[in-house]
Amino acid sequence: MTTMDPLMTPLGQMLLEEITPVVMLISTPSVEEASRKNGLSFLQMLTPFCSFDNIDVPVRTASDQPYRLHKFKLRLFYASDVKRPDLKEAKEQLKQVISEAGEKEFPDSNSDLPKINLELSSSSEYENTPSWFRFLNKELVRVASFSDHEAFDHPVICLLAVSSKDEQPINRFVDFFNTNKLPSLLNDGAMDPKVSKHYLLVHDNQDGPADRASKILTEMRSTFGTSDCTLLCINSSLDGPFKHQDNPWASYITNSSSSPTQDLGCFLKMDDIDEIKVLMQDLSSKHIIPNMEQKIRILNQQVSATRKGFRNQIKNLWWRKGKEDGADSLNGPAYNFNSIESQIRVLGDYAFMLRDYELALSNYRLISTDYKIDKAWKRYAGVQEMMGLTYFILDQSRKEAEYCMENAFNTYLKLGSLGQLNATRCGLWWIEMLKARDQYKEAATVYFRICGEDILHSAVMLEQASYCYLLSKPSMLRKYGFHLVLSGEQYKKCDQIKHAIRTYRCALSVFKGTTWSYINDHVHFHIGQWYASLGMYDVAVKHMTEILYCSHQSKTTQELFLSDFLQIVQKTGRTFEVTKLQLPVINISTLRVIHEDHRTFGSPSAANIREGLWRSLEEEMLPSFSAAKTNWLELQSKLILKKHNQNVCVAGEAVKVTIEFKNPLQISIPISTVTLVCKYSSSTDEVISNENESSMEKDNKVDRFRNMSSDNSSFMVSEVDFLLGGGETTMIQLSATPKEEGTLEIIGVRWKLSGTIVGFYNFELGQPKKNILKRRKTKHLPNEKFKFMVIKSIPKLQGSIHPLPGKAYAGDLRQLVLELRNPSEFPVKNLKMKISHPRFLIIGKQENMMSEFPACLRKNTDSVQSVMHDNPNITTDTVFLFPEGTSVQGETPFLWPLWFRAAVPGDISLCMSIYYEIGDVSSIIKYRTLRLHYNVQVLPSLDVSFQICPFRSRLEEFLVRLDVVNKTSSESFQVCQLSSVGHQWEISLVQAPDSIFPSQSLMAGQAISCFYTLKKSRRLSTLGDDVSTSPVRSDARLVPQIIEDIVYDVNSAPLVNFHHHERLQQEVSSKGDINTVDFVLIYRPFRSSDDPGLSTPSSVMSHHACHFSTASTGPISWLVDGPQTMHHDFSASFCEINMKMHIYNSSGATTFVRIDTLDSAGNGGHINSVNVVQSATTDNQAGWHDITPVNELKVTSNALETQSGKALSLESASSYIWSGSSSTHLNIEAMSSVEIPLQICVFSPGTYDLSNYVLNWKLPSNGQGDSDEKRQHSGQCQGYKYYLTVLQST
Amino acid sequence: MATTACFIIVSRNDIPIYEAEVGVAAKREDAAQLHQFILHAALDIVQDLAWTTSAMYLKSVDRFNELMVSVYVTAGHILYMLMLLHDSRNDDGIKSFFQEVHELYIKTLLNPLYLPGSRITSSHFDTKVRALARKYL
Repeated sequence: MTTMDPLMTPLGQMLLEEITPVVMLISTPSVEEASRKNGLSFLQMLTPFCSFDNIDVPVRTASDQPYRLHKFKLRLFYASDVKRPDLKEAKEQLKQVISEAGEKEFPDSNSDLPKINLELSSSSEYENTPSWFRFLNKELVRVASFSDHEAFDHPVICLLAVSSKDEQPINRFVDFFNTNKLPSLLNDGAMDPKVSKHYLLVHDNQDGPADRASKILTEMRSTFGTSDCTLLCINSSLDGPFKHQDNPWASYITNSSSSPTQDLGCFLKMDDIDEIKVLMQDLSSKHIIPNMEQKIRILNQQVSATRKGFRNQIKNLWWRKGKEDGADSLNGPAYNFNSIESQIRVLGDYAFMLRDYELALSNYRLISTDYKIDKAWKRYAGVQEMMGLTYFILDQSRKEAEYCMENAFNTYLKLGSLGQLNATRCGLWWIEMLKARDQYKEAATVYFRICGEDILHSAVMLEQASYCYLLSKPSMLRKYGFHLVLSGEQYKKCDQIKHAIRTYRCALSVFKGTTWSYINDHVHFHIGQWYASLGMYDVAVKHMTEILYCSHQSKTTQELFLSDFLQIVQKTGRTFEVTKLQLPVINISTLRVIHEDHRTFGSPSAANIREGLWRSLEEEMLPSFSAAKTNWLELQSKLILKKHNQNVCVAGEAVKVTIEFKNPLQISIPISTVTLVCKYSSSTDEVISNENESSMEKDNKVDRFRNMSSDNSSFMVSEVDFLLGGGETTMIQLSATPKEEGTLEIIGVRWKLSGTIVGFYNFELGQPKKNILKRRKTKHLPNEKFKFMVIKSIPKLQGSIHPLPGKAYAGDLRQLVLELRNPSEFPVKNLKMKISHPRFLIIGKQENMMSEFPACLRKNTDSVQSVMHDNPNITTDTVFLFPEGTSVQGETPFLWPLWFRAAVPGDISLCMSIYYEIGDVSSIIKYRTLRLHYNVQVLPSLDVSFQICPFRSRLEEFLVRLDVVNKTSSESFQVCQLSSVGHQWEISLVQAPDSIFPSQSLMAGQAISCFYTLKKSRRLSTLGDDVSTSPVRSDARLVPQIIEDIVYDVNSAPLVNFHHHERLQQEVSSKGDINTVDFVLIYRPFRSSDDPGLSTPSSVMSHHACHFSTASTGPISWLVDGPQTMHHDFSASFCEINMKMHIYNSSGATTFVRIDTLDSAGNGGHINSVNVVQSATTDNQAGWHDITPVNELKVTSNALETQSGKALSLESASSYIWSGSSSTHLNIEAMSSVEIPLQICVFSPGTYDLSNYVLNWKLPSNGQGDSDEKRQHSGQCQGYKYYLTVLQST
Repeated sequence: MATTACFIIVSRNDIPIYEAEVGVAAKREDAAQLHQFILHAALDIVQDLAWTTSAMYLKSVDRFNELMVSVYVTAGHILYMLMLLHDSRNDDGIKSFFQEVHELYIKTLLNPLYLPGSRITSSHFDTKVRALARKYL
């Protein structure tokens, strides 16, 4: 807290100016006329000389101790003005002041936002707040003057001025005091009408010498007394106007008078001014102050006599109590000027004015209680107010001072409209008091409370409150902003638009950059609107663009914002251009630049495929790769064109930019003419020097944008129009096509919103590093990515595949055609092609173009087959070279067949790349690649599974179970045939086809099973290319013969190729195992009705199942061959039965086999139990055990061994023994069979299970010991059941 | 239930990371910005007040006409604060509300995908806050 002299504070100064003795001036018209010559009224003429900085008058009031008064001021009022100021008039005037201030303070629309200067110190408050506040506050205080409840506005003296020109001046003086001419306040008893008078005779020197005047003066002196009469001579400057250096009136006359300020007082010479000075000083020191002193003394004595002392107080209290029942109006009883209460108040005010504050305070306190008891609230409040001020000036009790002010303020407020003006004045003083003590925050709340019903008034008060927040320590910027906004709103309500804009702009400096979205929107929207209402559309648009991104607002608000914005833009009458329009939002991270150098793309989707994928696909085709694939460093350097270290594009070929536009609003917005903004320069070498230039140019971006868009002779840009619905996001592809060689730079994108406002987006600014195609050039300057060297036009192949289905069922086989076109005049040659998924797409042969599909798949049973057997290993994995001399040029398209097969369900992305070299053109691009990309959705069709088990009765024959389930939801299929692939297998159907498919088709969801016999073809003992001319029945038809249909040849061109890929795909570990079989199931959609399905009627579908192993027990298979039933006379002898065992070695190597026959009785220990377990596992029968009750076991204690002797135990008594060798060793050549004789002896009739033998086999271990070979090298096979029934022959 | 209640979570640098109108009063078009203004202005008071006390619940710190601003600062003091604009005097309820929302906020912070200081967009959080508002305010 500052320990400042209260009188030196702004409030102190204000009180010294405002609460001063009033001099009532009455003048005759001729006096006025004389002074009017100077451009002044008489009052104005005197006013500058009414305040004295050092009057130095000794004053003695109630106490005996005199003190000296230094600063002193008089207030002059014409008698006609001694009344309550006209409220309406005052309001009008205030309004005018505010409006003028609004005009004056209105910020230049181009100026930047005001900066908040936090360095403001409290002392400089008045420099930083607008000056018109002070004037306004003064006016507000003045409006409350001449109230009947206060005494400091009572005239202390009456100055009567009569001109020497007037007729009968003495009479005029007397005439002044006709009561009906006096102000009503004096007449109705509110003020003491017996004011002391001073008589002034004014003489205009221009009218002649002062002789007459001095004569009148003597007359006056004799009439009114010597001391009270004075002569004032003015206008002594006879010889033309006189210019004052520093005009004393200039600062007082502020209202717009016609004459310029230096003309004021032009006829007053320095002598005149001095005379006026002396007059006023004398008036003050000799008349006013002594008068007041005297009055104070008299009143003080009176008050002391009647009110001071205990007795008087009791009496007073009792007397007042009695009076209470009487007049109880709102304002309390009316007090006459000579009532004791009024007298006390006058005493207090006089003492205050003469700065005897102690005396004033004691009297105020005295009267305060009286008024309170009397419920004279207005008077009470007035006294409280004065008490507060006195406390403040005495600097005694701050708390008390504030309490009094608050009390007064609240009391005034309670009075309603009656007290409003006084409340305002009281509040302003209170605020000043708080400000003087640096309590700005509290001051602000008082300002807030002053706000009354008058909107304009409250607007000003709110604005002042905001400044208080700004000045408080620490600065409360947010409150400052908030109150500015509140104030601005009030200004707006009373049409002070300029003020409103000013306050909002100030507030904007607080809210700038804030994320409080509603606040931002509110401020910007209103500023925009108001500027628009003033016709300043440019600024309005600037503000309105700030609110376009208002996704948080409700839909109606969004609509309002947008429509207002568009309206304003429309009013500007031109298409507006904004560098960063927020509508729609551009998702810069989605930005992709697609340009074609040596890489060309067949479709936009091809460009979206990762570059790495393409490169790995093209690796083998590109010459640079195949030539020097030595290390990665070189590889890198080869890729980039060394000389031209930048993007290359070809004249006439579009550079495409895809970018995402997003509408953040809930309403749809029309976007039109979306184009790329490009810059073209004709020289290619300029590039490097151009870089600096372009960075410099960034400053005047908008201009640059404009120029670019108009100058598009050397390149073309595409235009896109679209409507963005609420919340929608759209990917837009834009293109720029250079026409000539040179350098093309893409700068940004421009678009038109609602056809009126143009937005720009500069790519370089929000440039992310990723997602640009040219990722490997990360070190480049950002704008390098958008810079292209345009080279002259070279041929570009266009290619397409048709008719590639978007959707297909799994297994669908199609013939497609690749169509290549070369629109340019130069031929291309050396065509190569590679496909990413040969499982799905393979390249056909030229002759396939002619053949009809699917007829070409027909098996030619009669013709020689060998022609049709392609070697499946050709061209499948490597690059396909188009025939020598293939050259594409001109109008005729180049066609090439392709085969498509939907191998597995799912979404398949097929990539293919076609390499070609450019014929005769000399260009830095020697070759190009055409990249094609297709997406195919493959739906599941049939679920096919196979199960193979060997026939026990026949060697090398297997039963195949085929389970087919239709997985589709609606489609039905016709299963045509099952073929085994290769020549060593024969397949035939067990049942008739009709019994399997009564309806000839497989309905959706239907499942069937059918059984086949698979037989190894005997005639082909070795694998190889030597093909038997006689047909092998490797196909089993599932459709009845009657349907005129073909048998498909699985060895024909596309099928065998696809099968090869399937084989590779379904690779299992048992590689090279010749005991595997591959199946091809051919089916097709069944058309019972003519529904336009996914596939054409003639389509073929195939399912390939590979690597089904037939040899489940190892490389060997065997068959026990012997009689099933025998008759023997056991009475004669035991029975000897001879049998044969055929063992076939299906492996590719000589196998060593040992046959161990086990006699169940006694020889049980022969088998190592571990071995049995092993055999059981190799038999794939783990988990399948015959469980025999233990108590039934007779033969052996080994539980596992009973497996082999189970049949015997069932047979109980009877048994058999193996005769002959118990163990036979033999070597079986690859792919050959041997026959081994076996013999058993049977002792009694019965049924025997001849399964208790074991075959041990062993493959020669190959020396390399390839560990990855998972196959077993040896194993043991349990003999399988063979039942023999021996009967007693009769 | 308060007729007007605007709840807001403010993170460092005065950035609002969550806003919700939880009052039952029919929503006025200009209410949202008025509430933001009041709450934003109240930050000035909170900034001073938060350092004068060790309590987290600062009670009603500011008012504008009938609307009061209650504040709860998190233990990080000033980094995050929960502010509620309300027109009902229900200190205990507001305190409980703040405490529960604070807990909820801490749970949100535990989400590894939530970047502290970023906007809370979780609809789960929103529903929970509204439920708490119904319960306590």
